This record gives sequence, structure tokens and C-alpha cells, in this order.
Amino acid sequence: MSFAVVLDPDLSARPPDQVRRTLAARSTEVTGSVRRAWVKSLQSRFPSGVALAATGGFGRSELFPYSDVDLLFVVESENQIPPMKDALSAFLQDLWDKGLRPSHAVHTVAYCVVEHDDNRELTISLLDRRMLAGDPAMFKWLDERFRAFVLKRGAAIGARLAHLADSRRATFQDTIYHLEPNVKDTPGGLRDLQTVRWLDVLMGGESAQNLARAFDFLGSLRIRMHETAGRDQNRLSFDVQESLSGRPAELMRDYYRHARQVNRAAERALEAALAKEDTLLGRFHEWRSRLSTSEFTVLRDRVYLRSPGAANRGLELFEFAARHQLRLAPDTVDRLNGVEIDARWEHWKRLLELPHASLGLHAMQESGALASAIPEWRHIECLVVRDFYHHYTVDEHTLVAIASLESIEDRRIGDLWAEIDRPDLVRFALLLHDIGKGSGVDHVAESVRVARAVLTRLEAPEADRATIEFLIARHLDLSAVMTSRDLSDEATAKMLADRVGAVERLKQLTIMTYADISAVNPQAMTPWRLEQLWRVYLLAHAELTRGLYAERIHAWAGVDPHRAVFLEGLPVRYLRTHLDSEIDGHVELARQLESRPVAIEIAHQRGAYHLTLLTRDRPGLFAAVAGAISSFGLSIVKAEAFSNAQGIVVDTFAFSDPHRTLELNPSEVDRLRGIVRRVVEGKQDASKLLRGRPKPLLPSRAARLKPRVVLNNDASDSATLIEIVAEDRAGLLYDLARAISDAGCNIEVVLIDTEAHKALDVFYVTSKGGKLDDGLQDRLKSSLIDACASS
Amino acid sequence: MKKIEAIIQPHKLEDVKEALKGIGIDGMTVTEVRGHGRQKGHKEVYRGMEYQVDLLPKIKIEIVVAAARADEVIQTLVAAARTGKIGDGKIFVFDVAEAIRIRNDERGETAL
Repeated sequence: MSFAVVLDPDLSARPPDQVRRTLAARSTEVTGSVRRAWVKSLQSRFPSGVALAATGGFGRSELFPYSDVDLLFVVESENQIPPMKDALSAFLQDLWDKGLRPSHAVHTVAYCVVEHDDNRELTISLLDRRMLAGDPAMFKWLDERFRAFVLKRGAAIGARLAHLADSRRATFQDTIYHLEPNVKDTPGGLRDLQTVRWLDVLMGGESAQNLARAFDFLGSLRIRMHETAGRDQNRLSFDVQESLSGRPAELMRDYYRHARQVNRAAERALEAALAKEDTLLGRFHEWRSRLSTSEFTVLRDRVYLRSPGAANRGLELFEFAARHQLRLAPDTVDRLNGVEIDARWEHWKRLLELPHASLGLHAMQESGALASAIPEWRHIECLVVRDFYHHYTVDEHTLVAIASLESIEDRRIGDLWAEIDRPDLVRFALLLHDIGKGSGVDHVAESVRVARAVLTRLEAPEADRATIEFLIARHLDLSAVMTSRDLSDEATAKMLADRVGAVERLKQLTIMTYADISAVNPQAMTPWRLEQLWRVYLLAHAELTRGLYAERIHAWAGVDPHRAVFLEGLPVRYLRTHLDSEIDGHVELARQLESRPVAIEIAHQRGAYHLTLLTRDRPGLFAAVAGAISSFGLSIVKAEAFSNAQGIVVDTFAFSDPHRTLELNPSEVDRLRGIVRRVVEGKQDASKLLRGRPKPLLPSRAARLKPRVVLNNDASDSATLIEIVAEDRAGLLYDLARAISDAGCNIEVVLIDTEAHKALDVFYVTSKGGKLDDGLQDRLKSSLIDACASS
Repeated sequence: MKKIEAIIQPHKLEDVKEALKGIGIDGMTVTEVRGHGRQKGHKEVYRGMEYQVDLLPKIKIEIVVAAARADEVIQTLVAAARTGKIGDGKIFVFDVAEAIRIRNDERGETAL
């Protein structure tokens, strides 16, 4: 069998209409075969009362070489069906023998002009009906009734079609950027194109008119794929790409260009079809339109621009879309075409701090704004990297990775992500982590180089630049350890800790690895990989934090003298848990101590307040400060205390403001600073401040946590480790620290953390310069348990 | 014919594949699995909390070879996968009744 299809190997230089003519010729040929088979097996037995119609692609004379041949027998009544059975099988067998793949149905006219929930495709396939053989009166009857049906129910059929298309598109993760797309079913493929045409017919429209070139491209691809494979092959696999073109990457860029056009038209048409449904959801969308501002109008979850100038002001439009979880209206995308986006680092920071930042990035990609803001983005647009694992083009992989952080199912990873101080840095690092792909050289080094250029242009602060470059440079390290290192070997943990350096960076890198793997393909983040990643995280975390309390920094060379004096005698862990920029801030505060006894800084960042305090250490100091903070009704979520060789302590407290005391009364920040100072100087008693604070609401008794106190003399060479897990409450930290001070012990290192209502407190304490003896341990343990319970 | 099923440490996979390639074994099925044997998981301490890790990530390799080659394959596997520590894994050997190549219905050792 041959189809006499000769196509120019260069897909872009075909005479127009050749695809259409090829498909029509194939349809004519098959029509002939079907008619002959009808004459042979059915005509004499059913001279009237039965019509044979072509439907679907065959119906509209667009039959691809190996596509199914859709046939519909239209009968007067159900009773006709059983006696037809034998003749029908002879007829179908005849077609099979001719190498066709008939797909047939037998229905009455009445059945055809009703919507069926279990047979939605029938109505759609009948939109392209064509008389083939049999009783013309029967076909005429169907034709007239179906026309009337569509006239009356067009909008409803359109909405159903849109729902069908939506669920098909969802099985391809709603993206066109698959490395091995299905030219028929993937978003942006022929099925989407046909959907646009159908919706034009059903709802009245002309959207499909601009898609003629896309149809020629996709159609000619599919014809050649069928011919090459000798079957209904629609998946544009790597092998097929190679067999179709000497330059498969170029072929795919052409493909994505056309698919993007089809995809946009399909999105618009689907949206219009669904908008006609008057549902509760529709009313919710209406309500959302109140989000509109003086610059943007929100209609049905889409953002429209009020003035053309509103588009290029930083990233406001995209920030707005991400903040309210909206998409751009098609009209907005059109208006952004060619608009130059001038985004600075502070704009990026604001966008990337948002929990749903990926929606803003998606809107930027869709409208071309991403490539305008970061021209280097063009290197990876529609870029195909051919391997067995990746399903998406590099740009899409990048955006999927960032989006994956918005739906983390694993609780451990979710908590880790929530703990990260600067999510914007992780997101920006992800945005550029593969920007060097396709350059022909090592992509990691190239990505770092490009990122450096981008960040310099954006004038990002040095510390932010360093973090982003670090994350990109190391973005493959954890996955490499997961698969190729012995996790029970101590050397692995040491190597990891040395490479990562600080706990915050380990967390950032773990999250980055999670996102990168998750975006390889929808199944890539298996429970197995997740478990391995978590093990690697724990391993490095333990190594970065273990034993580093006892180990002290000594004679730190190669730093400026102020810094060296300040660092002398601090635990090594201090270096591992603080970024350079934070250490700089502490050194600066330490300088202030030359002229005053206490240096205090209070900053508000990302929904939490941070108080940093430097002063000369004295017994009970930590407890007093914790008490002062609690007395304002503030809730301490994190705290650390370290001291250096000069006896200067660095205490940091992060706290939330549940009653919005500081937020609503800015002068209270100064009062808090004053009270902390007085408490530190011994001029005010913290326990008096705490008296009279209202008791906090505790969770129900069933949900309460039994306090757990563990003392351990083996964890450190010089101090006793106390680990406490207890129900968190206002003033808990003060009570615990007081109990330790009252027992005559000195707090060397403190690490406080909270998870919901659970407080995780770690103290390293000494008594008379050494570890606690058994008797003291017992007494302290029971007073700590009492302190946990008293509220 | 024998089927050799080996559960090994994930980081040993590349070594094992190389070693098997060295003795001419190219075909194998590799699966990412989780489980525990006598190693029984272990305790991790994270942020002051102890918790039990029950199921450890492992790699399962399945190979079917002519009976005469089984010992050689097993020895190669053991040598390549061993670190000497708990958790190195196990090897199981099964008798195989028949092998069939689906493409052309070839049977027996020629189908391997």
C-alpha cells in the first residue's frame, strides 16, 4: 500500500495546502474502499433505513495515513441492529483486509441528538459528519436533527468539549514543552487545533483562521511520522526526530513555535467556552474581580492592563499575578509583545519572595517578559536536551522546578522549605541553574558564569550574589552523593560538610535538589530518591552541627583584626550557622561595645522580628532577655547564644508578634529595646515584667505533648548537653533558662526552635567550668520538667 | 539457567555494573527498592528528636544466566558490592524453568 505522499524534506518550505490535499486524497481513496465494501456486503440486504456516515477526521476529509477510520451506521430503530450483525462483520473484515482500521458505531438518530455522559465523544465526532453510502433520507434526517441540536445546545456542547480538552491537557501536565511530544494529543498539538475549530463552529468565532501554518507544520509532521513508522505513530520520539531531520534540535524549536501558537489559541477558546457556564465558580471569579487596582483589572481570574504603560514598570504586573494567583488575559499577553522590561534586583526579590512566585514567572515566560528582563533566558528557550530522563525543554524544566516548591507533599521537605530565610535566593538560583545548558561546555560552570553576569547587571548585593552562585555551582552535588557515595562512611559526611559550609546553605541546597529532581519528569521524585535525599541532608546536618559547640575558633588567620578578635573563642558552630553578612553585622555591633555596655539591634524580616544582642556575659543573662521579650506578648520561635574568648555573648532571638503589638505601635519597638537594655544592665527584674501577662491558650489536652528532658554528658568534651522537647508556651524559654541559672549552671550555647506548638530546645551548660555531676543532673532534670509543666 | 537477585547499597551500583560488564554480563534489571534485613534501620537524631528509619533505600539487581556461569557472576557481584559493613546486602539464587524472547519466540539460553 502506498499513499503517494511526497513532502519536501524542509518542512518550512512546502507549497501551502499540500498537507490538506494529501489528507483529502487519502480520504477519497478510503471513501472508495468503504463504498465498495458497502456494496459488497450490505447494500442488497439494507436497501433503505440505514445510512453509513464518516465522522471525525475521516468525516472532514482529513484522514492521516494510519489513523482510525471512524464510521457511523445510522438506523431507524434499535430493532434493526441485531439482524445486521453478520453482514456488518463481513463488511468490517473486508476493510481490515484492505489494511484499514475501521472504528464503527451503530446508533439511531434519536440517540445521536442527545448528550450522553458516558459517550461525550459521539457528539464531538458528529460535528464532522459526511454521507458515505446507504439511504440518503436517513442521513438527511440525522443531518437536520443534529443541526437543530447544535443550534440549541451549542454553548453546552462547547463547554463539554472544553472540559474534555482540559482533562486531556492535564494528563500532559498542561505544558507543550515535552521533549518527546505527542503531535496529536499534547497541548499545542493537532487535537487542540481541532478543538479551536470546533469551538469556532459551536460558539461562533474565527480563532482557527490564524492557525493554517501551524496546521500545515503539525499535519506534515504527522503524515511523515505515520509513513515512517507504518502505523498510527504520533509520539515525536528522539528516534523519530532524528529520522525526520538532520538537525533535530532545530526541528523541535520549530515545533514548539507552532505548538505555542496553537496552545495560546486553544487556551483562549477553552476559556471562552467555559466562561459561558454560569456556575458557582463563575460567581467566585466575579468576586475576585474586586482585586482590580488603578493599574490592573481582574476579570474571571485574568489580569488586564488598564493602560499600556502599566506593563513595563518593574515586575509589578507579575508580582500582582503571583500574589493573587492569577493568569494574564490573552489581551495582556498581546500587549506585552515587544515591551521592554526593566527589572532591578529589588523587583526580582519582591516577586520571588511570594509563595506562588512560579505563577508570576509563568506569566513572564508566556508573555516574553522573562526573555526581555533576562536576555540570557533565550539560550534555553525551547532548548531540547536529549537524555532518557528529562521530559521537558530546559526552560520548562526550570519553571516546573520552581513550581514544584509550591506543592511539596513530604512534610520533612515542606518544613525545611518553610525554615529557609531567603526563599527568593533559592528561586533565583533555580531560575538560572541550567541557563548554561546547550552551550557546549560544562553547564554548571557556564550557568555560574551567566548568573554572575546577570546578577552584576541587576546590582544584586554581594552576599546575595555569593549565595546564588554557590547554589548553582553545587546544584548537582547532593544528587551525586545520593547515588554514588557510601552514606555510612564518615568521610562522606565530612566531605559534604566541608563543601556546604553552613546549615542554611545545606537547607537551601537540599530544597534546590528536591526541586531539580522533581522537575525532571512527573515520576522522578520517587519515595526512594526522597529517602536518599533526606538521609544525605541528615548526614550533613549532623556533621555540620555535631561537636562544633565544644570546638572553639582559635587564631583565625586571614581575616581583618576586628573580626579575628571577635571570633576568637566562639564555637566553630557559629561559623557554620551564620552567613558572612550576618557575621559582619555582629562584628559591627561588637565595635559598639567599645563605647557602651550593650549593643542591641531589632530588625523585621519576612514576618518575624530578629533581636541581636551583644554584651558581656553574666549569670542569668539569657533568661532575663527571653523574659523581657515574652513580657511584650511576643512569641520566641528561635534563639541562639554563643560567647567568645573575651566573654562577649552573641544572643539572637527570632520572635513573632501574635497580637501585632509591635506592628501596630511602632514606638513599642523602642520601648522593647529600652526594656531589654535595662534587664541586661540589671536595672529591671524580668520575672516582675512577666507577672500579670495573660495566660496563653493551649491546644486541647489530647493534643498536648508530654515534656521530655534528656541530659547527656557524652555529646561534648566540656559541657553537658540538655535536650528538651515540650509544649511551647509564652515564657517557656524564660522559665527553662531560669531553672538552669538557678541551679548554678552556666549556659554556654543555646539553640531554640519551634514546630507549631512544639518547642525543641538545646542547651549546652557547664557548672564550675565543667560538666554536671550526676546529682546536679538529677536535680536540674526534675526542675526543668517542672518548668515545662508550669503555665 | 539461574536467576541471580542481589540487593546492594545504592552507591555500589556503578561498581557492580562495571564488574559485571567486565565478565561479559550486559543484561540486567535494576530497581530502586526500600527495605531492611538484619540492619533493621537505624536511629537518626534531628533537632533533638530521635526517630527510627525503618526502610533504607537499596538497589535490586536481577540477572538471568546459564547455570554454568552462575558462580562466576555471584563471585563478581560479591567482590564488587562488598564494603565489609552491615547493610552490604544479600544475593538470592533461583532456578529458572524457561526463558522466552518475546520478539521471536526463541527459547532457553539463546533467549538470554
